[in-house]
Amino acid sequence: MAFEKILTRYQDVPNYTGTIDEYIAQGGYQALPKALREFQPADLVETVKRSGLRGRGGAGFPCGVKWGFIPKDSPRPKYLVCNCDESEPGTFKDRMLIEEEPHQLIEGIVISSYAIGCHLAFIYCRGEFVSGAQVLERALREAYGRGFLGRNILGSGFELDVHVHRGAGAYICGEETGLLESLEGKRGQPRMKPPFPAISGLYRSPTVVNNVETLSNIPHIVLRGAEWYASIGPPKSAGPRLFSVSGHVERPGNYELPMSITLRELIFDHAGGIPNGRRLKAVIPGGSSAPVLTEQHLDVGMDFESLAAAGSMGGSGGVIVMDDTVCMVRVGEIVSRFYHHESCGQCTQCREGTAWLHKVLRRIEHGQGRKEDLDVLLDMCDNMKGKTICVLSDAAAMPIESYLAHFREEFEIHIRERTCPFEGRGAF
Amino acid sequence: MISDETKKRFDALVKRYPEKRSGLIPILHEVQAEVGYLSPEAIAWVAAYLTLSPADVMSVASFYDMLHLEPVGKHMIYVCQNLTCSLLGAEPLIRHLEDRLGIRMGETTPDGLISLKRMECLASCGTAPAIQIDGIFYERVTPQKLDELLEKLRNGRLRGSRA
Amino acid sequence: MPTLKIDGVEVTVPAQTTIIEAAERLGIEIPRYCYHPGLSVVGQCRMCQVEVERMPKLAIACNTPVADGMVVSTRSPKVEKARRAVLEFYLLNHPLDCPICDKGGECPLQDYTLAYGPGESRSVEEKIQRVKHKVLGPHIVFDAERCILCTRCVRFCHEIPKTGELGVFSRGDQSEINLFPGKVLDNAYSGNVIDLCPVGALTSRQYRFQSRPWDLVRHTESVCPLCSNGCNVVLDVRHRQRGEELLRIRPRENPAVNRWWMCDEGRFTFTYLHDPARLRVPTWREDGPRGEMAYDDLLLRVARAIRRVVEAHGPEAVGCIASSWQANEELFLVRRFFREILGTPHLDFRVRPVQFQPSDASEDGILRRTDKTANSRGARDLDLRPGPGGLDAAGMITAAAEGRLKALFVFEEDLVRAFPDGPLREALGRLDLLVASSLFPTETTALAHAVLPALGFAEKEGSFTNFQGRIQKIRRALTPHVASRSLPEALRELALNLGRDLGGIEPEQVWAAIGERPGPYQGIAWKDIGDLGLLPEES
Ligand SMILES: Cc1cc2nc3c(=O)[nH]c(=O)nc-3n(C[C@H](O)[C@H](O)[C@H](O)COP(=O)(O)O)c2cc1C
Ligand code: SF4
Ligand code: SF4
Ligand code: SF4
Ligand code: FES
Ligand code: FES
Repeated sequence: MAFEKILTRYQDVPNYTGTIDEYIAQGGYQALPKALREFQPADLVETVKRSGLRGRGGAGFPCGVKWGFIPKDSPRPKYLVCNCDESEPGTFKDRMLIEEEPHQLIEGIVISSYAIGCHLAFIYCRGEFVSGAQVLERALREAYGRGFLGRNILGSGFELDVHVHRGAGAYICGEETGLLESLEGKRGQPRMKPPFPAISGLYRSPTVVNNVETLSNIPHIVLRGAEWYASIGPPKSAGPRLFSVSGHVERPGNYELPMSITLRELIFDHAGGIPNGRRLKAVIPGGSSAPVLTEQHLDVGMDFESLAAAGSMGGSGGVIVMDDTVCMVRVGEIVSRFYHHESCGQCTQCREGTAWLHKVLRRIEHGQGRKEDLDVLLDMCDNMKGKTICVLSDAAAMPIESYLAHFREEFEIHIRERTCPFEGRGAF
Repeated sequence: MISDETKKRFDALVKRYPEKRSGLIPILHEVQAEVGYLSPEAIAWVAAYLTLSPADVMSVASFYDMLHLEPVGKHMIYVCQNLTCSLLGAEPLIRHLEDRLGIRMGETTPDGLISLKRMECLASCGTAPAIQIDGIFYERVTPQKLDELLEKLRNGRLRGSRA
Repeated sequence: MPTLKIDGVEVTVPAQTTIIEAAERLGIEIPRYCYHPGLSVVGQCRMCQVEVERMPKLAIACNTPVADGMVVSTRSPKVEKARRAVLEFYLLNHPLDCPICDKGGECPLQDYTLAYGPGESRSVEEKIQRVKHKVLGPHIVFDAERCILCTRCVRFCHEIPKTGELGVFSRGDQSEINLFPGKVLDNAYSGNVIDLCPVGALTSRQYRFQSRPWDLVRHTESVCPLCSNGCNVVLDVRHRQRGEELLRIRPRENPAVNRWWMCDEGRFTFTYLHDPARLRVPTWREDGPRGEMAYDDLLLRVARAIRRVVEAHGPEAVGCIASSWQANEELFLVRRFFREILGTPHLDFRVRPVQFQPSDASEDGILRRTDKTANSRGARDLDLRPGPGGLDAAGMITAAAEGRLKALFVFEEDLVRAFPDGPLREALGRLDLLVASSLFPTETTALAHAVLPALGFAEKEGSFTNFQGRIQKIRRALTPHVASRSLPEALRELALNLGRDLGGIEPEQVWAAIGERPGPYQGIAWKDIGDLGLLPEES
């Protein structure tokens, strides 16, 4: 099914390098003057609310509603922080957006800042995005040069500075309050909520944190209208979404599609299906924190509601596809190793639980499992969920629960036979 | 220990932020690039520069995977060990690297040239398996490709930035 | 003010109160590790979770403000499971050290595990090994395996002395409390981390292995005597074969004085009380060498000498230098004895510049004060100062040198040290009678005719008045040496020998007399002075 590319339409322009001239040539920086001239900030917030745009960073929170939480009467400065920490395993769309089309993001940031009354914005890039950060710096310089940033933007009287800030390698800095701590020069330890960032965020001031992809949508909403945007995809999951498809597919990559697409269409029509004539075994549909789905779920829609109804989540849009050579205990070991490594360590359940999960799963994978282990694992997951400062602890527990729910037999075989049955068959 | 020129850059950098402590991580990146690693002296310098306690700065530095409190090699190779890269051959790649360099992940070659480090998902899963050498991504890496990269690295023909 | 229900009981508290504080008012202790009322709230340990009706998740009591109509359960099955889980997670890597751990018996991890913990370990994973006995500073040793990362110690150093020596290094389960390389934990308040640490990770080098908490026979509430702040303390005393021994001093919460803290000097300076060099028996020296003498005989001789001086030169030939180390009750009796019974105006306590108002000041904006004695304020309030025509301390020394003063009493002060310049030795040498009381031999006692062993603050009952004017009780924690007497006992005997009555010497009786006189303490009775002391203007 043909679908009009919006965020990635530049991909159809030959030899596109994302400079400001190329961006302008394909219609860029038209939304900004329109926003500044035709909209009051409050109208913009309303428009984004009506568009139905939901956050693309993981939680899917309605973007306009979040903007609306910013107190209008606060004497403190307001900040916008673009979350470009992209670290959710299986997700690689934000990196593409900043490296290939940085001005779309910058235009989105200026419009969003205007909407919430912000005059200083930051783009927090994960530390590993060395070249991505350089591309953004260059693009910012271009935008300043053309008067899209700085004092009196396009003669409107609105002023805004934007800086790129690089982290230094910690997944938890993707969590918005961990990010703010890190941006303040501290350990990236998530904060207790409430207060939420909209009330007390960066430097204890009202702050909006939005994902790169979320903000990249903003110019299009302004230019083409909330109704147009809301008409794309299912009513509660409006607009295009970038799905990062990786793993055992013929054509891994980012696919921009409406969320009315099904998992089957995404994997088989767009990403070309499973290579080497193998069968699909498991799919993680929204980054490694999302519970796993199997063949039986292939017809699920890729919108937030349908994925939740299927027992998983839309998350970050990272779709990891696994064929039937894959050992799910090994997957559990790798996924739990990740959360073990990334827990910030504040909360007891998460600090100790992520480590324990990993150790038990590693033991089972290496043939040292005990019968009791599986129930202990499930109880441990229950003890980790819903009890901590941020949801990393939940994100570590939920996938493991789902592997046990769908593939318990595989775990039992490991324990019974004291070895991984996939070993020697190209276990990874 | 820190050149005047670098310090001038820091003076400008911290002005970007309403609170100068925000400059800490960018400064640590640069000091690490200049000194090689974040030695206790380097940390103490940064602490004094930002009027923080050295324990505070060390505590922050030790939180982040890319900030090194122990000496590391001139070149840093990060290998993604997360799910997609593992599905597509990260472990054989890691074994290959370890064999070629005669060191394990987390170690540095005796000549101080190369350090190896396991990393989590590098946002390169669409082109897995992925590695980074001195901040530059290399994707769909195979053992053969790795050998070529190591060769270039040894001959100083691989560009990259440690900052 | 919102009214809420905790475990079925209603309580009304000011808005902004947290659940943990509201529960405290009902006497319900919600288990906690990271929360401490004197430190910032971080909500990290997750031990204090409670169930609140209509909240989907458990709430942490330490950071959830109360609301009107809230219904809280601290004991529901969901809460108990969550609590058990936190303890199970802690114990995964906690060493089996309890039998050899200084904290054993007073350890919140041990206590909560017994009360709420999992019965058996479900883990077969190896425990993480960490550094076991790292000396952090002059007073503190650290056992990283026992640490549960509550970060109280880190927050304390950042927030109270603001020295920030400690930090959490690394992240996740690699996290560890540590110092910056080459630094030590030696701020003036470092000992507080021992009390704050909810496990045996930070322990006292002084107290380490000295005792098990259940060996202690007494926990006596008292006041630190080492500066005019008067931090409230508990004296932990153990009975040993060779007698009682003060093993540990801990701060006692008093919001108006020291909150939860005390300084290291006050906490760790007490072994002098058990020093064999202390004066234990009275001694007398006339022409020959100094010799021990029974108390009664000594006091007879002192009385005789006083009478001789007064008969020959009048009461103005007698002087007394009292001390701000002395308790209010002692000071009152000293004043009564010298001003009223003997009738001399020469009375003073000021032998340090800091005792001349207003030079006592805060040393660091925290607790410590520049007056390093306990009771200058009490001595001032009780008017231990020269009467009409009387001499101050320096004046008495001059008078002695000039032969005008014939008898001098010096309580608990070493004049030779206090007045190093000038002809002090000669002055004292000219006296017909020099009586000195002291804990230890000093140059002054060496010159004295009569030497009375003094009692330490832990050996007497009474009160000190801190710099604010707050009267605070000190209580006897240690039984004094058999041969010693309290100063009130000695003064009463001396008065009797002179044919006079000093009046009652028990604190209640002394306060009955103090309360009758005009002055700052008028109307106050001993029983009015509560556990947290009494500020006269507030009563
Ligand atoms: C453990 C964890 C990691 C996260 N990582 C990211 C991330 O890398 N990028 C991102 O945009 N959001 C991430 N989030 C979500 C953010 O907290 C936040 O919801 C998001 O940035 C809000 O932007 P949005 O509303 O535009 O999605 C993460 C959340 C959690 C709990
Ligand atoms: S849940 Fe985990 S990552 Fe999140 S704050 Fe707690 S310890 Fe840190
Ligand atoms: S040493 Fe004690 S006080 Fe400090 S973090 Fe560990 S358990 Fe808490
Ligand atoms: S501050 Fe003064 S009263 Fe308090 S403990 Fe220290 S010496 Fe004692
Ligand atoms: S899993 Fe290796 S880059 Fe994402
Ligand atoms: S006491 Fe409340 S979370 Fe630690």
